[in-house]
Amino acid sequence: MAHTRLMRELQRQGVSRREFLTFCASMATVLGLPEGSAAAIAKAVENEKRPILVWLEFQDCAGNTESFLRASHPTVADLVLDTISLNYHETLMAAAGAQAEGVLDETVKQNKGNYIALVEGSIPGDADSGYCCIGGRSALDIAREVCGNAAATIAVGTCATFGGIPAARPNPTRALSVADAVPGVRNLINMSACPANAENITALIVYYLTLKQWPPLDRYRRPLFAYGKSIHDGCERRAHFDAGQYVESWGDEAHRHGHCLYKMGCKGPATSQNCPNVGWNEHTNWPIGCGHPCIGCAEPNFWDVMTPFYQKLPDVAGVNTDRWLDTVGVGLTGAVAAGVVVHGIGEVMRRGRGRLVVEEKPAAGKGTGEQAGAKK
Amino acid sequence: MSAVPAHAGEHAMLERVYIWELPVRLAHWLLFFSIVTLAVTGFYIGHPFISAPGPASAHFIMGRMRSVHLYASIVFTLAALVRVYWAFAGNRYARWSQLLPVSLERWRSFRQAFLFYTFLSRQSVDYLGHNALAGLTYAGIFAVYFVMMATGFALYTVYAPPGSPMQWFGWLIPLFHGLPIARLIHHIGMWVILVFAVAHVYFPVLYALVERNGVFDSIFSGYKFKEPGSRE
Ligand code: HEM
Ligand code: SF4
Ligand code: SF4
Repeated sequence: MAHTRLMRELQRQGVSRREFLTFCASMATVLGLPEGSAAAIAKAVENEKRPILVWLEFQDCAGNTESFLRASHPTVADLVLDTISLNYHETLMAAAGAQAEGVLDETVKQNKGNYIALVEGSIPGDADSGYCCIGGRSALDIAREVCGNAAATIAVGTCATFGGIPAARPNPTRALSVADAVPGVRNLINMSACPANAENITALIVYYLTLKQWPPLDRYRRPLFAYGKSIHDGCERRAHFDAGQYVESWGDEAHRHGHCLYKMGCKGPATSQNCPNVGWNEHTNWPIGCGHPCIGCAEPNFWDVMTPFYQKLPDVAGVNTDRWLDTVGVGLTGAVAAGVVVHGIGEVMRRGRGRLVVEEKPAAGKGTGEQAGAKK
Repeated sequence: MSAVPAHAGEHAMLERVYIWELPVRLAHWLLFFSIVTLAVTGFYIGHPFISAPGPASAHFIMGRMRSVHLYASIVFTLAALVRVYWAFAGNRYARWSQLLPVSLERWRSFRQAFLFYTFLSRQSVDYLGHNALAGLTYAGIFAVYFVMMATGFALYTVYAPPGSPMQWFGWLIPLFHGLPIARLIHHIGMWVILVFAVAHVYFPVLYALVERNGVFDSIFSGYKFKEPGSRE
């Protein structure tokens, strides 16, 4: 099969067939497919017929594009993705202006219902707001047309998935996720995280190429292979969490020993993704691996609810609840206990002044249903 | 309803009345023990104050706290559900209408109870079941229990594997805007319950003394003593 376009390209880049198969095996691992699927993956990936992709960028930082391409030397994954027919990608394509928009237009018209749209960035909810227009068209218009006619739409990154940072309070542009901006969009797959992990995007595409279908999804339409488990449950520091060994301040003894970052505000217990297993930057490391708490980047409303990043609980009206909640709780409980003692003393004094009056029962007949039937 | 005449030799004016049926008493004590357990373990989960020395493999402090918390939460949830069920299936004293000031008469006694507790009136409200103010407080604390369950089960979805029935509670997460806020509400709820608990232990003791109607013993035995003038 060394004559396929992909294999020729790989050979030109100095990637051996052995390395290619290793890649296919690693994809099988990320996807949680059984042993032996690597061959099926290799066959599917080598196939000459590839789906057409268009990549839309709206209110974003191009971080997902960056993650997708990776700054390092080209790898097999890059090549697989390169050989996909990526017809339109503003940041990457050589064409610009009307020429570029023409390509998008043509792709959508000629491949109606047959291409895959990838969306990066959130979409201003108001088409007339003037925020985020491309070639004079609002992001909302473009998204509805392009995603509305796609066979499937992949929302890449937390902004496209949940609105992300542009949608954080006070959300000046009324930013929406793809799901909200294009209601009823067909086959939407959400790849949240800031940015989405290139490993997972590649695995998603490989899954589709191999099985000709989309993977099982969680409640936020995220593939279970990447979002089926919490950071906390996969974390290498979990033994320290369970033992009760926590970092109390940056650089302390526990931090140097790699203890759990729970008390430093780690949002691993609220976040689902496969970072502990897949890692970042070609498995180099991942945030908790280098001593920084997870900031919960893959979850809805991430910027609003996961901040402050270095506190366990969110602030209320600027008050640090991590520090004050238990103090206030102990104080209130104590105050009520004290109040009860005072009340008790008052009660004893009142009893000292004679038997208390027990209210007489109102005359029968006047009573409501509740009293009717009372046994005398 | 199920009034039992006092045994010969007892105070002639008092009737011994069966108020709290077994499910009510059972639910009450299961709630009591589970809440004590949940509060102790929950406090540790929220604020791990013990630090384990040495290798991680030698300890399981948080792990144990969490598992005990989760088992206790099952007891808590079942007990609360039994009590709510009994508010519809039980005797008149256990009914939901005892908890809410649904009648004009109960509204009036609500005011009276408030005045009595605040020393503004010497006239107590003697009810065989709950008086209106106490009833509303219990309705409120049950609302807090359900908030604890909603936030607790929402937090638990993170640990439930895909396909687990516990994932069903995921629909609750958007109600709180996100899990850290559910955690915060869960934590605040603990203090609300503890503040309630202090007052809740005090008032029955007080009225057992003031009214000598057995309200404090009633949650063990089920029986209270009915004075001629007391309301159902
Ligand atoms: C009276 C009832 C309860 C009390 C007082 C209580 C208390 C607490 C507290 C204080 C925390 C720590 C919150 C923080 O991180 O700041 C907690 C955590 C938690 N509670 Fe409860 N709780 C109660 C009932 C429940 C119930 C019914 C469930 C149902 C499953 C539940 C499940 C959880 C879970 C899953 C956690 C998080 C544990 C973790 O992330 O490791 N709790 N609870
Ligand atoms: S570092 Fe974070 S994710 Fe890891 S065990 Fe601790 S709390 Fe969980
Ligand atoms: S560890 Fe947490 S914050 Fe970091 S990339 Fe993974 S999900 Fe996002």
